[in-house]
Amino acid sequence: MKLNKTKGLVPAIAIGATVLLAATACSPTSGGGDGGGGGGGGESDTIKIGVMATSEGNLAFGMGEAKAAIGVAMEAIGGTVDGGEINGKTIEIIYAGTDGTSGSAQTQVKKLVENEGVDIVFGPVSGDEGEAVVQYALTVPEVTFVNGSASPVGMTLEGAENFFRFHGDSAMWMGGLGAYAFDEKGYQNVYSIAEDYSFPYDNAGGFFSEFCEAGGNVTGNSWVPVGTTDYATIIASIPAETDAIYVGLGGADAASFLSQAVTSGLNKPLIGGSIAVDTTALSGDANIASAAVGTITGGPVPGAGYDNPEWQPFVDAYLTQPDAFPAPSIFSILYYVSFESLLLGLEDSQADLSDNHAALREALASTSWDSPTGKITMDDNRQAIVDNFLIEVVEGADGALTQQNISQATGVKQGTIVYDRFEGCP
Amino acid sequence: MSRSKGMPASLVEPPTFWSKWGWIGWVVVLALAFAFPYLVDRPRFWLPNIGVKSLWLGIIAMSLVFLNRYVGLLSLAQMTIAGIAAYGVGYFTVTLGLPGPVAIALALLAGTVAGFLVALIAARTKAIYFLMITLALGQVFYSWASQAIEVTNARRGLAPIPRTEPFTDISMFYWAVLACAVICFLLCRYVAKSSFGLALEGIRDSPERMAALGYRVNRYRIAAITFAAFIASVGGIILVFDRAQVDPDVVSLSSTLDILVVAVIGGIGSLGGVFVGAIILTLLDNFAQDFTDRYMTLTGIVFILVLLFAPAGIAGIGKQVKRAVDRARSKRSEADESPQQEPPAEQPTGEAITKGKQQ
Repeated sequence: MKLNKTKGLVPAIAIGATVLLAATACSPTSGGGDGGGGGGGGESDTIKIGVMATSEGNLAFGMGEAKAAIGVAMEAIGGTVDGGEINGKTIEIIYAGTDGTSGSAQTQVKKLVENEGVDIVFGPVSGDEGEAVVQYALTVPEVTFVNGSASPVGMTLEGAENFFRFHGDSAMWMGGLGAYAFDEKGYQNVYSIAEDYSFPYDNAGGFFSEFCEAGGNVTGNSWVPVGTTDYATIIASIPAETDAIYVGLGGADAASFLSQAVTSGLNKPLIGGSIAVDTTALSGDANIASAAVGTITGGPVPGAGYDNPEWQPFVDAYLTQPDAFPAPSIFSILYYVSFESLLLGLEDSQADLSDNHAALREALASTSWDSPTGKITMDDNRQAIVDNFLIEVVEGADGALTQQNISQATGVKQGTIVYDRFEGCP
Repeated sequence: MSRSKGMPASLVEPPTFWSKWGWIGWVVVLALAFAFPYLVDRPRFWLPNIGVKSLWLGIIAMSLVFLNRYVGLLSLAQMTIAGIAAYGVGYFTVTLGLPGPVAIALALLAGTVAGFLVALIAARTKAIYFLMITLALGQVFYSWASQAIEVTNARRGLAPIPRTEPFTDISMFYWAVLACAVICFLLCRYVAKSSFGLALEGIRDSPERMAALGYRVNRYRIAAITFAAFIASVGGIILVFDRAQVDPDVVSLSSTLDILVVAVIGGIGSLGGVFVGAIILTLLDNFAQDFTDRYMTLTGIVFILVLLFAPAGIAGIGKQVKRAVDRARSKRSEADESPQQEPPAEQPTGEAITKGKQQ
């Protein structure tokens, strides 16, 4: 018997082809042209902004926070989270959800630009996505890209002249902390424990470059895989002359470290990376909390006691948004300052997107405004010069731990180093 | 084993419409695939996001289906092997600065050798143990790629990996990829129909009997896994030029499962059906969130529906419809006292996965 196993295949492929052709026929055909971005273009009365944010995976709440931030900015000009009007031109906002991976970001950014025909891409959330989006931005110079909350250092050093970032990178988030640790806290020898991927490289690089420049020494570096739960060996190997420990860990890893630091009797003060001291650590058991008290850290989110007059109105407006958290997260803050910067650029340029967005890009490159987190200006690489916050974990009157603003570094500029894993000083 | 020679005429299945005229269907499908750039309104979206991605997903899934259908082994290392080839292109071009064709040849070699090494470790195992070993090897490589900064540049990955002329034109690239997919398909078919392929099917059905006949079962399995690795490497090389970069997400568990989903939706017993599965997955990736915020849930629902109503995948729907029609006919012909025997069912996905046709 001759087995003909392709009998069912041809009709199946015919079904597949029909589905594909039906899908192509049903897909949006906005903007016209033979592809490429700039659906609205200079002549259109509609400006399309494609927003990328995470709606699946570990950072699934990113989309909700992005919409809350955009809602605050758009409502201030009489619009909604779905659009509005600037200088007589309609602003249409299209959302694309990702899962935080580079592959997902590539798929969605291409869809926004090539299929939806957006003029401006706004986002993404994660660093992995950001690196992929910048590479894509280099291939579509006719589209303007404004970063969401992705923070790798290298994104604005790739030479993409259509890419703008209105918040600090992850090295800048440590701006001022190295000098503070050395000068104010008197730490001369610091041991580093950090997760082994790009964000902690940049984050720790930002801290130690400043700390070492101030005169500090590094007594050792431990780069651990994400998800490490056993820190006993590392804690035991920390040299006795160490004055403080830099903890470049996040989430459950940070909680595990703090717990084991207490049980092993480690009594060195801690310096946290930008994601080391979050609610996981602060709301943990009493032992963890006691280890966290006194930890200093740096980042783009101000702690309690921040007295910028722009801050409270932003928080109040944020809390009116649907599904808002009890307080704005780092994602909503970064998305807000970035989207508001974009809206200001559109207003300054009379929403003129002609000549490959020349007027808009000039306005964005010369952005200068007082945001809720301090003054934002731009450098030559279209990277923001921002304020950064130094924070200490303190115990409140009710015994709960809070992050107290202790200092503010103003006018923090981006360096030119993309950090990799390093030993000693970077 | 597939064979027709020496069979009594009464046992030879009469030619059906599709077996007689199926080639016309293939020509139409190929013509549609070739004309795809002219059929879509926005080629810069449809060619990379749907066309090219469906093809490389399909090629990698085809390597999985080849192993499952002809060797009875369900491998979850195919995406890892494709990723090794992709990293090979990235390392040889970005880090070492070698020209594209040399990098492609070395990457093909790297992927194929990686498959050979996987085979050396896993070929002696069966069914769930083979699946678990290949999955574990994939995760080991993922962890290594995430941290081997000197080779893979860790999480940042290797970029940019641009295409060279004339493949900078997306249509040219698509047609080249289409040609690769057709060649890989024909190669798999050729190998399957060769004496080597027949021996593999024998080993799949009864390894003990084939060993008793003098076949070195493990060597055949190693050769088949290495061949499938070569096919997967071709997919990986296309992937890296499509994405213009390679990072650990390429070899993550999620990407591995994508290949399995493509194979199951398309038909885990069908070499060509995987391309239908790949098209469905890429369409869902791109358009599911136009209908719901929980677009991955929608993908999962489609997967479950396929398993429930088309256990042999989309490629098995034709046979399912035929069986239904035959059943209806036999009910109508009351005069016929000996009802028509139902044709054998396409191997259901669950059976293929759990048993692997090995027992």
